Amino acid sequence: MWGAEMMTDLAIMLWKEMTEFLGNRRFIRVFALAVLAMGVLPALTFAHHSSGAVVGQPPIFALFRVIYVLFATVIVVAQTAPDLVLHERVGHTLEYLLTTRLPDAAIFGAKILAAFVVGYLAALLAMAVQLIAASLIGGSGWHWMFLALPLGRVAAFGVTASLGLYVAVIGTFVGVRVGEQRAAYMITLFSVGLLLIPFLVGWLSISLTTVWASRAAMVVSAVALILAGLGMRLFRREMLILYLQE
Amino acid sequence: MDDHAVQCHDLSRRFGSQSAVVGLDFTMPRGSVFGFLGPNGAGKTTTVRMMLGLLRPTSGSVRVLGHDPLIDGEKVRRQCGVMLDNVGLYDRMTAQQNLELAARIARLDESARRARVEAGLHRVDLWERRRDRVSGFSKGMRQKLGLARALIADPEMLILDEPTAGLDPTSIVMVRELLVSLAQESGRSIFLCTHLLAEAQRICDRVGIIQNGRLLALGDPNHLGHAGLSTIRLSLSGGDRMKMEALPLPHGATLEAISGSDWRVAIVDEADIEPIVAALVAAGIGVRAVVPEHVSLEEEYLRLVGGGNDD
Repeated sequence: MWGAEMMTDLAIMLWKEMTEFLGNRRFIRVFALAVLAMGVLPALTFAHHSSGAVVGQPPIFALFRVIYVLFATVIVVAQTAPDLVLHERVGHTLEYLLTTRLPDAAIFGAKILAAFVVGYLAALLAMAVQLIAASLIGGSGWHWMFLALPLGRVAAFGVTASLGLYVAVIGTFVGVRVGEQRAAYMITLFSVGLLLIPFLVGWLSISLTTVWASRAAMVVSAVALILAGLGMRLFRREMLILYLQE
Repeated sequence: MDDHAVQCHDLSRRFGSQSAVVGLDFTMPRGSVFGFLGPNGAGKTTTVRMMLGLLRPTSGSVRVLGHDPLIDGEKVRRQCGVMLDNVGLYDRMTAQQNLELAARIARLDESARRARVEAGLHRVDLWERRRDRVSGFSKGMRQKLGLARALIADPEMLILDEPTAGLDPTSIVMVRELLVSLAQESGRSIFLCTHLLAEAQRICDRVGIIQNGRLLALGDPNHLGHAGLSTIRLSLSGGDRMKMEALPLPHGATLEAISGSDWRVAIVDEADIEPIVAALVAAGIGVRAVVPEHVSLEEEYLRLVGGGNDD
């Protein structure tokens, strides 16, 4: 199933998604706003609290700033993933794709990948903006940021990636079933809240260690991949056509 | 190789308690142009979806280019160029990018892709607009681009669902000319769902009329009326009803009075005209005129579907 043929089909569909992104002004606005907000906001809090004394800050403060990066990812992916499907439903292009030889897995796999890539790119850019802003304000961006800590690096690259993948999977299949943009966006965001339930009811507790963060990233990724597999099995062509008829 | 592009056998599809297609039985020879005619909601799109393996029949079967779409859906879709009633073009892409995507999906290599995209845009007169976004295109331009996209991989079969729906008269002429040129290209099978009866009569080798999911008539568009019969109108002198009803008619022929001296006879074969005239003369009835009548596809369609629209 995931041989060279599938990889080529995924690449074709990714080309299509990226070409569409570049023609979507609304998406570019959301993307730019998320990156700027999540890049500049932590720099402002830094300027307010530390007045430039960055190196002496306890590492835990630096770690909090990774939350901005996670926000950037979640906002961009939650907006993008359902929109990729809803846009196709409204424009009747989803039915066109279903009449081609492309397998379902390529159509939806590419959407998940595209939303993930865009979200992760937003995270990386937000970090770059933070780094530049911190360098300008504090003189040593690297030390000011969470990237100086191993735990910070795992959170910035690993947890962000797994969370982005999870939201991309949920958002894509929510977009397939829910025909309305705002509702799809809210349901996708709600799915992120579901991840907090085990912590809120006390089944799990957060531990600020590198090992714990790595495991959390792996578990969330595994959940995302399992959900993607279930989604592909559930949303066959016939079911999609019936949804389009509704 | 299977001689049929499409074979439907007792094909039915229900949605809940509603029947969309009921017991469809027809064949379409390879290389022919088949017109699938019917009002909106008649079951044409559902039939197309079953042909492409997008919907599972409730009962019966369909084979397209020798394949069962439920088992070999990918093979069917690979060999068919499809244009649905909603063309489904990417508005945020340019005309060229839309065709480029279709060419990539068809797995054409780069040089073939470039050549086919260019040829396709020239064919539908959109070369000058190739870098424009499709969102700014008129409906007619979109339909033409949709046709070019369906043709990009040079498919063995074209499935066109209402290619002229919602078009203004000028656009209808543009699309009609394209359809006529496509129909003249030999070897390609075309399954055409349409409302354009004059065009169907002009370009189709065979038509089927469907309403409420049922096939009402099937055959040559020029001889579809009266279950395959043609008719002649007779203008007679001295022919009363009793004499006419006693007339020995060839097998299958039927008689219908129009006025006192005018009669219509439905015949199975044109060779039946001579014995009928001979019988009239033998019965002492004067024959003033024998006029073969032609029932247009439009007249037959309106007779069958009642001129209504079941939306």
